[in-house]
Amino acid sequence: MKAAACLIACVLLAVPASAQEVKWNFDKLAAKASDTVDVSLSGGLLRLATKFLSDDDKDEAQVKKLVGGLKGIYVKSFEFKKPGEYTAADLESFRAPLRSPDWERIVGVHSTEEGETVEVYVKNAGKTISGLAIIASEPKELTLVNIVGPIDLDSLSQLGGHFGIPEVETEKKK
Amino acid sequence: MNLDDELRSALQRQEPPPDFAERVMARVAAAPPRQAPRPWFRLPATRWAMAMAATVLLAVGCLEYRRYEGERAKSQVLLAVRIAASKLNKAQRKVQMISHRSNS
Repeated sequence: MKAAACLIACVLLAVPASAQEVKWNFDKLAAKASDTVDVSLSGGLLRLATKFLSDDDKDEAQVKKLVGGLKGIYVKSFEFKKPGEYTAADLESFRAPLRSPDWERIVGVHSTEEGETVEVYVKNAGKTISGLAIIASEPKELTLVNIVGPIDLDSLSQLGGHFGIPEVETEKKK
Repeated sequence: MNLDDELRSALQRQEPPPDFAERVMARVAAAPPRQAPRPWFRLPATRWAMAMAATVLLAVGCLEYRRYEGERAKSQVLLAVRIAASKLNKAQRKVQMISHRSNS
């Protein structure tokens, strides 16, 4: 009886954990990459970071508001010395956990000229977005972003023009 | 009696009483053992001061480590947001470019 209760408790605890962060396997790419950016912030560390973001600095205050309710931020970016270090199958393996009904691809753009692809996926929880995943690939660069928790895409894109991010010219400004 | 006689009488050898040695030894045995002076680091005040200093050092160390962790986490958050926003903006730009092309 106790064992069954323990098993149920373990399953109940494990399900929300697995439902949060997207499980991507980077081992193969990490070995080939010449440069890697790895950001992995969850729970307490993310809350600690939020405390250190200033309210007085406009940009930091904006980021603080954006990440305030998040449960995790995971970013992996690989730079390669030459093109062709990752395959279509690698990309497909990253897309695999982002299937419906949990995930929905809202943007998928591909530039044949530049060989760039950006795919944006959101995880819907009712009317709100409870997660974001971005797969951005260039011939010599591959970036994967996973944000866990309610994220405001408008606020995130409004960070354009800050921190050296080019601002998107919207129709309204014309 | 002249001075020479007085000195001779005063400095005349006298034997101690027969039980003198025993009495001395008995008093030595009865006397409380003399304690060696405590080294400075074993004094209660020094001990308290050392404990306080260790506590303060530990607290300062913990605070400094937390500050370091916080600053590190903050820079990681800023980096992650910068990357995420730049990729999102790139997708937006491309979508806008495509919609511009299809409109014109």
